[in-house]
Amino acid sequence: MTSATSGATAGTDGSNVDSADNQQGSVAVALLRITLGVILLVTWWGNIGDDFYSGDGIEGFLSWLFTPEEEGGNGSSLSFVGDLLDATIVPISGVAGFAQMVMEGLAGLALLVGGATRLASLWAMGFFFLLFVSYFGGGEWIWTYVLLFMAALTVFLGWGGRQLGLDQAISRAKGSSPAGLIW
Amino acid sequence: MTGKTAPLWPISIARILIGVLWLYALRWKLPPDFEGGSETSLRTWLELAVEHAAFAPYGELIDNVVLPNFTLFAWLVFLAELVTGLSLLTGTLTRAGAALGLLMSLNLGVAMLGVPGEWPWSYAMLAMWHAVFFLAAPGLNWGVDAHLIKRNLPSPTVRLMASNQS
Repeated sequence: MTSATSGATAGTDGSNVDSADNQQGSVAVALLRITLGVILLVTWWGNIGDDFYSGDGIEGFLSWLFTPEEEGGNGSSLSFVGDLLDATIVPISGVAGFAQMVMEGLAGLALLVGGATRLASLWAMGFFFLLFVSYFGGGEWIWTYVLLFMAALTVFLGWGGRQLGLDQAISRAKGSSPAGLIW
Repeated sequence: MTGKTAPLWPISIARILIGVLWLYALRWKLPPDFEGGSETSLRTWLELAVEHAAFAPYGELIDNVVLPNFTLFAWLVFLAELVTGLSLLTGTLTRAGAALGLLMSLNLGVAMLGVPGEWPWSYAMLAMWHAVFFLAAPGLNWGVDAHLIKRNLPSPTVRLMASNQS
């Protein structure tokens, strides 16, 4: 595939344009990436201020997720997700909180500047999917996590760092990314 | 190989999902009374926007203009969301649907900015998706727009609403 040169075009079969050069589509994906980066970083900064990433913070959050709404919780309905998180995250909540803090900050930064975008967006997809199943059935507007997951997926599939991002320069200097998964 | 271009199909999937989102959101603002059954109604949301207005003039506008003419504005909201949802779902005049959806997302963001429990970034993300649809014209993939353009039927105005190519 070559550098983008033109707008989306209708193909002869009407289904068209899927892999055609799509300059405006690539810019749109870059804007989506930058928005995701800003959202992750602002949320990350707020969470640090709230001491969210401590062991107690993580445990309190998980407990709130699956507490019924009438008792002041979110009322998430996928109890097997709650059981899984209780079994895997709660015993190591301090480490998990620290890892989350590091990963969320790094992913936000990577998405903002468009460096290692494929890796960051892949991680973000997993993170947003986990949030989706964790919040599902509760009082939160669940579409938020659909929007975020789709954004991360689109950035991943759309090589979101190759437009207005560091990945463009990295790929110029280093060539193709290993397995296409980092830049 | 340094340049990579974005495939349109993931954006088209998002277009379809967000079309469903708008249509799904109609269930709590259905005419003739625009009540939401067990869910928070449109009127209650408007009252919340007044009570927790992040920008005083916006709250006053809702309080003095929209709420006294609730039925008129409820119809406008209902029709705008219906048109946006159908446009995005089917990929018909997608850029026009995206522009309308962008305005509604920004309005929602402003209205909900100060309401407790609302996460403003949800509306920022929603607005950004509509900007993406406007730029990328994803109705050209799996959408009615592809057929409109292919058959060379549309007028220049319709072409502008369906495609990002002049």
